[in-house]
Amino acid sequence: MTGGVVRKITKPALRDNLVWARRNYGIYVMLLPAGAACFVFSYLPMAGLVVAFKDYNLFKGPFGSPWNGMANIQRIFTMPGIVQSIWNTLRVSVLTLLVGFPAPIIFALMLNELDIRWYKRVVQTISYMPYFLSWISVIGIVMNLYSVYGPINDLRLLLLGPDAKRVLFLSNPAFFIPNVLILTVWKGLGWDSIIYIAAITSIDPQLYEAAAMDGAGKLRQTWHITLTGILPTTMILLILRLGGLFGSNFELIYGLRNPFVNFEVISTIVFKMGIQQADFGLASAVGFMQGLVALALTFGSNKLSKMVSGAGVW
Amino acid sequence: MKYRTRAYRAFTALNVGFMFLVVVIMAFPYVNVLAKSLNESKDTLLGGITLWPRKPTLENYQALLADKQLLASAVVSVQRVLLGTVTSVATQFLAAYALAQKRLVGKTGILIFFMIPMYFSAGLIPQYILYSQLSLTNSFWVYILPGIFSFFNIVIIRTYMHTLPESLSESAKLDGANHPRILLNITLPMSLPILATITLWQAVGHWNDWTTTLYFVTRPRLFTLQYVLMQIITEADRVRQTIQYALQEGLDLSDQAATTTPEALRAAQVVFTTLPIILVYPFLQKYFIKGVMIGAIKD
Repeated sequence: MTGGVVRKITKPALRDNLVWARRNYGIYVMLLPAGAACFVFSYLPMAGLVVAFKDYNLFKGPFGSPWNGMANIQRIFTMPGIVQSIWNTLRVSVLTLLVGFPAPIIFALMLNELDIRWYKRVVQTISYMPYFLSWISVIGIVMNLYSVYGPINDLRLLLLGPDAKRVLFLSNPAFFIPNVLILTVWKGLGWDSIIYIAAITSIDPQLYEAAAMDGAGKLRQTWHITLTGILPTTMILLILRLGGLFGSNFELIYGLRNPFVNFEVISTIVFKMGIQQADFGLASAVGFMQGLVALALTFGSNKLSKMVSGAGVW
Repeated sequence: MKYRTRAYRAFTALNVGFMFLVVVIMAFPYVNVLAKSLNESKDTLLGGITLWPRKPTLENYQALLADKQLLASAVVSVQRVLLGTVTSVATQFLAAYALAQKRLVGKTGILIFFMIPMYFSAGLIPQYILYSQLSLTNSFWVYILPGIFSFFNIVIIRTYMHTLPESLSESAKLDGANHPRILLNITLPMSLPILATITLWQAVGHWNDWTTTLYFVTRPRLFTLQYVLMQIITEADRVRQTIQYALQEGLDLSDQAATTTPEALRAAQVVFTTLPIILVYPFLQKYFIKGVMIGAIKD
């Protein structure tokens, strides 16, 4: 009788577990602060998503306000500003991915070839530094760099002769996206390379020796051993990145905008419509759609990665 | 294995040169801000400031410090860093200790509960509505409470704990020590390296954050230093106001109308806000990096 055997095994196990839990209740007390914070600040807002389907009334609150079905969702696609911001978000994040994702990998590979140890350490220390500055101070630094009498304009005059005009780089909309890309790489290059450097270090050196024995040159070794060796790490980071494709760096974009450049992405428009104009229904509908798309993207890219390389986040 | 082909030697030379360029690109913008903040503001308008001030002065900083709001916000920032870091590290350490227990009943469920918010978040507006109902908006606690939970940090601390020898806590258990004792006397001292890392991350995160203020705080008394920096950077009026304060304080009113320009003031403010991090960073670099290394090990 298999059923009887199973019951005999599971029943005491369950009782054992309960006994363990009762004896070690202190463990659950330790989980309480984190659990409570997670519940209140991550799960409770999910209930507040009902606002996306309501005609929000400040005095009636999120649950007392009347339902209005899909009206908010429909409004997303009828407002040109929002459609434009979705398009802008995608443009910026695809470009950021194309430029910002390979950059730290290449940097890590090159750093790995650097044999002078003190020099390597200096390069690392200085290149990690920008990561620790807040985005807003990075923007302050860049405004200084680009200012009319700042070093970039000085350099421009030096190259083009003293008759060249001093340029306002930040008030030119054409420079906005390039600036976003440059700043993203500048701030993240060193820090993002750490994880690849760690992955490269953990590759078995015997592999290189064997490959050299077989006559593989430096380039072939880099391709077949180093890059293959860090592939799982690369895939996981790529999946996480793809999940954020519909998100954007609010701090960078909000800070870099100015009266001459009005560039809206999803997160800035949610802030503007929701918090500044108090159109909670519309703004949370936008946020909700963004959350769903991010979830779908993470799942999709995880599946794809598992099919292609066998590596996945879960 | 050394490669002495000519191509590889050429590559090495290029590589060394390229890395030098990287160092310059990473360091120069900051050095330039520093130089400008220490240079006479009118002289800066002639251009040509690169690595050091041409006419050294502290008057940009004097003008900055005449703004009372700035000092008040520095106090808020320091309070936030202290309280926020202590509460979050304690919360995360406790949770990591619990989740590191081999026989934790219900572990899978707890992990899933903690993990879901990593993949789906309700977004800003539901958060805003919740915070206003909890009276967290325009309260100092909005800086502290929402930040105490971080699944990422918990996982990193837990991964580190898994590398500690089990025998110590096992034998302590046999000697009748309970969990709080093992936690305090054995696990805590052995986890200090990773706790240092997490503490630094949290402190830097609290110091650098300004969006919490932007979203949830309108009361100037609660503004943080980074938020004031944001105002000075993005709002032209805010800069003029600071200069006005400086004039009222009677700073150098004798010969010139203004002691500082918006540009010089911004440079001084950037340096003032980032200095704590710049000063502390070189000494603590290894701790900053440790967490990333541990995070790279898939748990």
